[in-house]
Amino acid sequence: MVALWELLGIYTAVFFTLAIYSFLYGENPWYRFAEHAYAGVSVGYSVAFNLRYLRDQWVNKWSLDGTLMILYIIALLFGILWYARFSRNYFFAYRWTLAIVVGTGIGMALKTVIFTQFLAQITAQARIPLFVAGDALQTFSNILMAIMTPSVLLYFWFTGGAREAGPMKIVDRIARYTMMAGFGMAYGNTVLTRYSLFIGRSQFLLGILPNPPEAKNAFYVIAAVILLSMIGWDLLKRQSK
Amino acid sequence: MRSRMSLLEKMQNIDRRYIYLLGWIFVLFPLLNPLGLPVPIGRESRQWKEYIDNIPSDSVIVVSLDYGVSGMPELYPMTVATMHHLWSNSQAKNWQIVVCAFWNQGPLVFDTLLSQINPASAYGVVYGEDWIELGWIPGSETGMNSFAVDMWGQTPTDYLEQRPLSQYPMMENIRTAQDVDLIISFETGTPGLPEWLRQWNTPYGVPIIVGCIGVSVPGMAPYLDSGQLSALMPGLTSSGEYEILINRPGLAVAGLDAVSMSHLLVVLLVVIGNIAFFASRGKGGS
Repeated sequence: MVALWELLGIYTAVFFTLAIYSFLYGENPWYRFAEHAYAGVSVGYSVAFNLRYLRDQWVNKWSLDGTLMILYIIALLFGILWYARFSRNYFFAYRWTLAIVVGTGIGMALKTVIFTQFLAQITAQARIPLFVAGDALQTFSNILMAIMTPSVLLYFWFTGGAREAGPMKIVDRIARYTMMAGFGMAYGNTVLTRYSLFIGRSQFLLGILPNPPEAKNAFYVIAAVILLSMIGWDLLKRQSK
Repeated sequence: MRSRMSLLEKMQNIDRRYIYLLGWIFVLFPLLNPLGLPVPIGRESRQWKEYIDNIPSDSVIVVSLDYGVSGMPELYPMTVATMHHLWSNSQAKNWQIVVCAFWNQGPLVFDTLLSQINPASAYGVVYGEDWIELGWIPGSETGMNSFAVDMWGQTPTDYLEQRPLSQYPMMENIRTAQDVDLIISFETGTPGLPEWLRQWNTPYGVPIIVGCIGVSVPGMAPYLDSGQLSALMPGLTSSGEYEILINRPGLAVAGLDAVSMSHLLVVLLVVIGNIAFFASRGKGGS
């Protein structure tokens, strides 16, 4: 037997799922309510989690030593300066924090980005064997990669008169087909993701284990209420016109 | 002639609500009445299983949940299956598993997992000796860097019991990225693989395997080909295959019929739209 508070949680989750999906029918008050609640809960969760992290750091590390305490307070003050952007008079102070965050982030990334995302990729491309013994499909795939990757790179080379030369037109065509194949793959994977999200929520709505089985009844009841109210809302709007 | 043109135009301008309705039908029907369509095992899921099977004994494995609740429908089944796989081998191979998250909803996802699996009773693994949860590490890429340099400094206490790391025997020799043998990251975006590569793989040579949502697959593929990424679990379909491979059918397997049907619907709509477009163009339409 499910406790009342658990049942309440299940009904709430089903309601918010269906209220968000009600947007597929059209803009309506259920959707508006769910959207605002979701944004509020999401921000509230983040704020609470950040504060908890700050507390844990203070209690377990920074409060244990005098120098660390000062550093922690300075860092906290710089963090508070984020909110200076909401003030016309102190907007400049917000830029200090922004500069620290952007500078640190770029510095961290630049340290290895050339090796990780340029050199390693170029080396890997150069190492592709054009012939793989006993594997015709892999051989074909490797030859295609050896042709297509440089073609796409050349497609974005806009300098010089050679852009209009005869061989470049062939390269352009290969590059366009390559990119279209890439976009097709991206689209297929996007469809997979979007439907996977929907399938996951549908499994919850239908109470498929390990989701709570009680969700199924909640689904039928709340779906009927939301659907009927939306049809009624539509009719009212039409009458008022 | 006019009626044919009208039909062709209607086919190109189907009310989106009918398409959504079809979407609901194509997904809900196979979930309510499983079709039992065959599930061929793909290369990715097989590689993932083999990679985990071949992790050497005494390895330290960092499992990072870099996604929030919105990514759960696609990533949660593979997270559950992988944790089953890891915990079931953990004691025999003396693996030490460190669970963390660079997305702040990661701990929430792992709480859900722990509400469904009790690793102590299911696999006899001991918290603090065989595995530990460190919780959320803020700072995105900067946080990853700090975590690599000083894990104890970045997370002075664990997440579940809120005790200092010095009180856990397994953490004695796990202090920096150099003490870690593998990263398993489940992720939906940034921070994700590029950040792991920049802060953990390139400087310290820690191997990485990634489970990601379908949208991210085109961005991951080059790293897989270059060998920077050791294995990739791309989306719900591969999760289902993996569940079959480790003999633990779960939510992903249950959803595979719906995945197939939903893709069939999309293909049908694309075909119908193209037929209508080219036919109307042939008849002088725009």
